Amino acid sequence: MAPKSDLLQGTLDLLILRTLSGDPMHGWGISQRIQQLSKDVLQVNQGSLYPALHRLEQQGLIEAEWGSSENNRQAKFYQLTREGRKKLAEETKNWERLSSAVARVLAGI
Amino acid sequence: MFRNLSVRLVSLFKRERMEQELDAELRYHVDMLTDQNVTRGMAPDAARREALRVFGPVAGVKDDVRDSWLSRFVEVAAQDIRYGMRSLRRNPGFALVIIITMALGIGANTAIFSVVNAVLLRPLPYTDGDKLVVLHHGPNIQSDPTNNDVGFSAKEMDDYRQARSLSGVVEFHNMFFNLLGRAEPERLSTGVVSANYFDVLGVKPEHGRAFVEADDTPGAPAVLILSYKYWERSFGGDPSVVGKVFRMNDKPHTVVGILPPVPQYPLEVDIYMPSSACPFRSAQQTRDNRRGRMLTAFARVRPEVELRKSQADLDILATQLVANYKDDYPRTGFGAVAVPLKDELTRDFTTTLWILLGTAGFVLLIVCASIANLLLARMVRREREISVRAALGATRARLLRQLLTESLILAVTGGVLGLVLSAFSLKLLTTFAERFTPRAHEISIDLNVLFFTLGVSVLTGLIFGSIPAFARRVDVAPALREGTRGTQSSQKIRSGLIVAQVSASFMLLIAAGLTLRSLMQVQGVDPGFKTENLLTLRADMSFDKIPLTLPQPERRQRISAYWSDFEDRLRTIPGVLDLGGSGTFPLNENEPFPRGFEREFHPLPPDTPRPQVSFRFATPDYFTTFGQPVVAGRAFQSSDTLDAPLVAIVSQSAAKKHWPNEDPVGKRIRGGPQSPWVTIVGIVADVRQQLDRSPADELYVPLRQNPLLSTTWVIHSRLPVDQLVQGVKRVAQAHDSELPVSNFRTLAEVRSSALAPRRAVVSLIGLFGLLALVITAAGIAGVIAFSVNQRTQEFGIRMALGAPRAGVLALVVREGLVLVVIGLAIGMFGAIVLTRALGSVIFAQQPTTGLTLLFNITATDSLTYAGVAAVLVFVALVACLMPARRAASVDPMIALRAQ
Repeated sequence: MAPKSDLLQGTLDLLILRTLSGDPMHGWGISQRIQQLSKDVLQVNQGSLYPALHRLEQQGLIEAEWGSSENNRQAKFYQLTREGRKKLAEETKNWERLSSAVARVLAGI
Repeated sequence: MFRNLSVRLVSLFKRERMEQELDAELRYHVDMLTDQNVTRGMAPDAARREALRVFGPVAGVKDDVRDSWLSRFVEVAAQDIRYGMRSLRRNPGFALVIIITMALGIGANTAIFSVVNAVLLRPLPYTDGDKLVVLHHGPNIQSDPTNNDVGFSAKEMDDYRQARSLSGVVEFHNMFFNLLGRAEPERLSTGVVSANYFDVLGVKPEHGRAFVEADDTPGAPAVLILSYKYWERSFGGDPSVVGKVFRMNDKPHTVVGILPPVPQYPLEVDIYMPSSACPFRSAQQTRDNRRGRMLTAFARVRPEVELRKSQADLDILATQLVANYKDDYPRTGFGAVAVPLKDELTRDFTTTLWILLGTAGFVLLIVCASIANLLLARMVRREREISVRAALGATRARLLRQLLTESLILAVTGGVLGLVLSAFSLKLLTTFAERFTPRAHEISIDLNVLFFTLGVSVLTGLIFGSIPAFARRVDVAPALREGTRGTQSSQKIRSGLIVAQVSASFMLLIAAGLTLRSLMQVQGVDPGFKTENLLTLRADMSFDKIPLTLPQPERRQRISAYWSDFEDRLRTIPGVLDLGGSGTFPLNENEPFPRGFEREFHPLPPDTPRPQVSFRFATPDYFTTFGQPVVAGRAFQSSDTLDAPLVAIVSQSAAKKHWPNEDPVGKRIRGGPQSPWVTIVGIVADVRQQLDRSPADELYVPLRQNPLLSTTWVIHSRLPVDQLVQGVKRVAQAHDSELPVSNFRTLAEVRSSALAPRRAVVSLIGLFGLLALVITAAGIAGVIAFSVNQRTQEFGIRMALGAPRAGVLALVVREGLVLVVIGLAIGMFGAIVLTRALGSVIFAQQPTTGLTLLFNITATDSLTYAGVAAVLVFVALVACLMPARRAASVDPMIALRAQ
């Protein structure tokens, strides 16, 4: 099942990587953070977060570890790997280039 | 990246745990959402529903996650394979050598395994074949079921049918009958069986019907079932033969069915008939005589009963019988033993097969070492490539995986090729196995074999792949600096592998050498008679040729005269020098029957078994035809007829054993208290029935005084065989148009086919040995060539400083020979240990054939050891010399400039 959002392909990955650039977080935390930071503009179908997380893990961009969450339950915590950090920098740059280009085109009209 | 690999491995092996973790992870999320909704004031139920709605369909999410696991795995594997193929394509010669080596090793193993699988592993191709047993019956049966088996009498068959743990007890015995009413009389091997024989075995006829109870009642119309092979051979597979009537024995027989192409146990026969149709089996005398034992019994153990339980049943029956009929069971330990039919049919082959599988395994080990060595050499050349990749961030695990993938590509390709090779050898293998077991025709490549081949290929690939992969330390910097120079550790491993190859080859060649020497010993055995220019044949008169209604003495006279007449006619064939008639002849598959006898004036103490001799029949000229000298007394004469005093001749062994300090000539013997006395008139030299067994104690009686229905004849003639056969057929036809003459074979052919099983084993092990030798030689040449390549500069310097070419040559050769000598020493030690461990097996007599794997030599036969060592050293020397000569021809200037 594809994510039922209008997010561009790859954008969710970028958001996840960005969210994880700080401390390790679990899936629930990531989804909360994305909603919070985007001021609820980006309404992600929450389940679709997980296939993305696992894909990124398989690609070696993030790694996971089981640990205790704030309410003392076992949860899976994700964090960026060295490669993930590189990828984030790269993708951020790409995104900025793209969005400013789109912005310029829109402004031109 | 290492995590990456581990995730992949985890996804292969720990799938279940991953699933659990995924469950926990998703549940946590939904629980958190629910909690959040509850804090916002929703009722718990509604909160959960809302949480699940926001989360989306859980099953769908899981599917997507699983897809990500799988696609990544496939993607990485595909990448590795692509890269591996590319790197192998760059060096096709190298890849080809490995694939061929691998194919030979896998081919050898797959071939032998396909035999093991068909013969030893698969259940019998009958309904519930594992429940079928053979019953062995005789005195002291528990101690040696095979050799003490005397068979069952008709009465005993009935008694053992009482065994409650057996759902069916059926009989079989083999007879030869003449089928008349076709162009030529045919002598057919006939299985005489119970009506429910095929039901108990679980075989349904391909055409027509099986026997029914009514067929097996006295006076029922005689019926026949044809075997598939005979039907194909003789009737061209025409189903309309069902219903046809042929004359056999003294009555018409109707064909009622044709068997499917199932393997026939206990032996291949042409036709089957119910026991009531067999004139011997149905005779009142046979049916009433508790001691007339001629039947083989098969039984089906009830599905719910264990074999052990049914044995207890048999023991109870045996005890009752012995108590009820004391006179019929004079010897101790009379009873019946149930042996699984499958074990029975493969017994003589089992040891040979395991030994062959072992030798094939050795070949694979050598293949493994050889390929590992090639890969190591290639690793050194790829040092730069690998170092560069490591420097660019490829982890050790990633590199390892890449190398293993390449090895697996090679291994599986080689394995597939090996499978093809072995598929081509199936026909040959069947011919080979036929000499040992009736299951030979079941040999095929089935799923088991495919899995075996795949498994062994992958395992081999992992082994030969991981040796070089792990041998290499991923030290980036030194490798980059050093250029192409190999590391010391890899050189050591390469040497170790050569030593291993040499020692394994040595052991394999010892096996080949010992079996070959045994074969030569057997071939050198003097059988005690001539084998040149002798043609053998069978002649079987129809059971009813001489009317059964005649009184027994007259019938015997008539049969005797019948053969005398036949003999005279044979003598009229131009070019016949000499001829003899008998029941069977030495080296023939049909062995003479052992019979008990007693000597006059030497009464046996009660309860002592009578001494046994091999019972043979002979015409007066039999001994001269065979060139078997009469050493004392006289041969038979034409005056030894049924009207003359009964006479016999003993062999030297029998004379020595039973008349140790006296002259047997003139002494009298008899078969038993009711039998007439027979005077011994001569002693003949010993002959061997089998070349690899010592001569048996033999007793000869004149064919004329002991008329037989089935005879064999040996003709001494220098005529071309075809011409002689035509002559025999012509006089046989003139003598009696219903007399089939068959089995024309020269004694040289008989002798050769008697050695065929041994020769087959020798050729197989020899082939494996040769394979090992070639692979090892190539391995040595490869290693030395490589080392020469690495040391070109050093040789240049040496020669520039004045070292003679011969010195360089010797240097290189010594390097190789040191390894070979170490390998030889280890191999010799291994061979001695192994033959000692297997000693009881390789010298054990096979239960029915009495063959031993080794004959007339010790397991540490010094000639074999010396010979094999010499061959290995010589081959190694040649293998070293080729690269050594290149080393010696190095131009110092070029070598020095090269770097």
